[in-house]
Amino acid sequence: MQFLKPIIGVLIAYLLIKIGVPFLGSLHHPGTWPVVPTAVMKMYLTFIIAGAFVACTFDEEGYNALITPVVDLYSNPAKAKLRLCAVTAVSLLGCWIAYQYVKPTFDAPVELRSVHPAPPSSVTMWNKSYPLQTLKNPFRAPDKAQLAKFTEEGGVIYYQNCFYCHGDKQDGKGHFAQAFNPMPANFVDVGTIAMLTESFVFWRVGSGGPGLPSEGTPWASAMPVWNTMLSEEEVWKAILFIYDQSGVQPRVTDVVAEKK
Amino acid sequence: MSLFTSIRKTGLAVGVLLFAIVTLFAVPVAHAAAGDVKKGEAIYQKRCWWCHGKKGEADGPAAKFLIPPPRDFSLGVYKYKTSDPKVQIPRDEDLFREITTGMVGTGMPKWDDILSEQDRWDVVAYIKSLTDMFGKTPNPPQIDVSKKIKSSPESIEKGKQAFQTAKCYECHGQLGKGDLTKKLKEDSGARVWPRNFTKPWSFRGGYTAEDIFARVSNGIPNTPMPSFAADATSSGKLSVEDRWNVVNYVMSLAEPTSQVKDGQNVIKGLRRDALPKDENDAAWNEAPSTAFYLAPQIIQNDRFFTPTNDLVKVKALYNEQDIAFMIEWDDRTKSIPGDPTAETIAWDTLTPDQIAVQTPIVMSTGSEKPYFGHGDAGHAVSMMVWNSGTTTTPASGTMMDYTGTHKRTQTDPAAAGFSATGSYKDGTWKVMMKRKMVTANKDKDTQFEVGRFIPIAFANWDGSNGEAGSKHTLTVWNWLLLQPPTGKEVYLVPLLVLILLAGGQLVVANMLGKKRK
Ligand code: HEC
Ligand code: HEC
Ligand code: HEC
Repeated sequence: MQFLKPIIGVLIAYLLIKIGVPFLGSLHHPGTWPVVPTAVMKMYLTFIIAGAFVACTFDEEGYNALITPVVDLYSNPAKAKLRLCAVTAVSLLGCWIAYQYVKPTFDAPVELRSVHPAPPSSVTMWNKSYPLQTLKNPFRAPDKAQLAKFTEEGGVIYYQNCFYCHGDKQDGKGHFAQAFNPMPANFVDVGTIAMLTESFVFWRVGSGGPGLPSEGTPWASAMPVWNTMLSEEEVWKAILFIYDQSGVQPRVTDVVAEKK
Repeated sequence: MSLFTSIRKTGLAVGVLLFAIVTLFAVPVAHAAAGDVKKGEAIYQKRCWWCHGKKGEADGPAAKFLIPPPRDFSLGVYKYKTSDPKVQIPRDEDLFREITTGMVGTGMPKWDDILSEQDRWDVVAYIKSLTDMFGKTPNPPQIDVSKKIKSSPESIEKGKQAFQTAKCYECHGQLGKGDLTKKLKEDSGARVWPRNFTKPWSFRGGYTAEDIFARVSNGIPNTPMPSFAADATSSGKLSVEDRWNVVNYVMSLAEPTSQVKDGQNVIKGLRRDALPKDENDAAWNEAPSTAFYLAPQIIQNDRFFTPTNDLVKVKALYNEQDIAFMIEWDDRTKSIPGDPTAETIAWDTLTPDQIAVQTPIVMSTGSEKPYFGHGDAGHAVSMMVWNSGTTTTPASGTMMDYTGTHKRTQTDPAAAGFSATGSYKDGTWKVMMKRKMVTANKDKDTQFEVGRFIPIAFANWDGSNGEAGSKHTLTVWNWLLLQPPTGKEVYLVPLLVLILLAGGQLVVANMLGKKRK
């Protein structure tokens, strides 16, 4: 039965990717069922199968336990019928896999995209150079009333420029969002502005999709280049608002951490 | 205890359990709950005022970018009411439902994911307090839906007649695509376009028969959509029975291909020896169609926020020499400048309708592409454009290259063998574009290659909606795949693998058998 172990292991891994991952995704974003693309699945399975084989044949004993029943099946004169079945099954399986590879399909190619590529150390916008390492939001005023005023001004900017895509609820589901791929960022998700510093966000908003390095697929992002349409002040205020309205905190700058 | 009684007992137990579960989870149609005005105000002033205004007067900062405009709560007029047609005010449940589900295609989102049920009732109480329309009137009764007629071919046929007698077609078009014959405005003066019945997903007041019955009976207050209840004072009245029939007819018009399928972004190009003659050729019927959402151009100045067209459907066929595209889109207006009817329906200056197809000129080997909006300095795109013309200039096609938004050069359409024809019927434009697969001009024209994923994007202008120049709708990059003819290898390779595997295993078995002896 030793040789069943890797098969069961691979099967469990397959089910985890096929059902487990979309299930976790559906918990995170209710109403969706984000399947793993076939090409990525094939890649994972190749690794898993190779891994399982290596793990099982790591020592002599494991190797023998795995290989003996197979050798027996292919050589034992008493198992002629079973052998025929095995030969037929393996051949048909190979035939089917080969057919899957050569048959005509319309599956779109998988395109990977780095959502948060490394920012440049400085960026030039509005004819000015900004050092991103040390940049702070000048409108994050200590005075509560002042901060509330700036935040509301940011809200007005958001509702005149951003909500069509990023949504009234900052969830990336504005009424035109569905037409874009990649989808507009979801600010209430822990994986976007909550894990970014305000200077990173400033760079992203100011320079937009086309300002991304190539690993961020700048050619596909519909995020506008806001430094051509808004002022520097307006961008900072909009950033105040998206943090406030979505109820998340910006990450504090790395510089503080580095000083230690 | 005999086997029979034990089976019966188990059956009974299961029955009781099922009943208990069903009664426990059966969610009754939301009943008006008492809302707390103060709490509702707090929610409203955080979430809703941006559009609906601080005092509910539809004057929030986002309002002027939205068509339809946000509801003005100070007037107390609501569009989607299910109260009895004799009563003017909506039911509390109506406001609750629209807040819960949102309104597709408008700025109004669904709120059920971040506002609890109680929150939503609180905000209902608050917005009701912004007008004196409701006064002390108790929640009105629901419209009577007890005489519902189940959908059947007969009912649909009768509904089709009622559609004619009630003149629904004047606004909704003969095939229900909203191709209106006169200009329509909301009472506020804002532009309004009738619903397209082939797109169920675009309904804003729900898509059950009861929802649509309420709509036909009550009309849509604040818009030209009249009430058809027999006791209403509108011109085209319908009996209760005819209203149910027309509902069944409306629902029979749903068109599944006019819906974008999640994750399907590949145009499936098939090979044909002879390509269709024009856009109305029956040869197009069997070609698979792929639908893509359109979004307005809100990315670069001058931006445009209030589109009418929401999707394009595309087919492609090719042969050794040529490739043909068929682009179809529902458009409520045939925008031909100079045409008197078109001129009266149009908002802003009437311009021709247009459609554009964009493809990269150089295909990269990696994932790199030109910027989806007109390419960029390092990556030129080729554009095929069709223009519906005016009463004095015929419809025409042009070709050009772009290396950025305003960086355009005309290219020679004759050299690419380019031609384009289009026609408009019952609310739908069909445009066929044809050109050579490969051209002599490799650095000016896209070279279409069989079996390769080719990025492709579209842009559309509705000339009756003020769309011209940078004001238009667009898609992002999608894919075109010209499917290679099924070659022999599709059968040969698996067969070869089968033979090799079977043979190989037999050889190995033979060897192992000898060794064993
Ligand atoms: C046309 C649609 C559109 C509009 C309008 C738009 N965005 Fe975006 N935005 C996107 C898309 C798509 C992405 C995701 C792709 C990317 O990262 O570039 C994005 C990403 C972002 C990100 C990056 C988040 C992250 O996790 O990296 C920020 C921040 C952002 N947008 C802020 C804004 C602000 C602020 C505005 C208004 C001033 C705005 N956006 C307007 C489409 C839009
Ligand atoms: C981004 C803009 C926006 C925001 C934010 C918004 N709405 Fe709306 N709302 C609209 C628009 C636009 C309409 C009109 C849709 C139409 O006419 O078809 C509307 C319509 C409505 C209607 C009228 C339904 C009817 O039957 O007439 C109600 C009620 C409503 N909104 C409640 C709310 C509440 C409550 C909130 C906050 C929780 C809210 N809205 C937030 C844009 C918005
Ligand atoms: C005078 C023009 C006019 C006539 C006649 C008319 N409608 Fe409408 N109808 C409209 C407009 C305009 C809208 C869209 C209102 C909006 O978006 O606010 C509409 C919307 C609708 C809707 C959409 C409801 C939703 O939930 O989105 C239905 C259903 C409908 N009409 C059915 C009918 C039927 C059935 C008839 C004939 C019995 C009819 N209409 C006659 C103008 C008209």
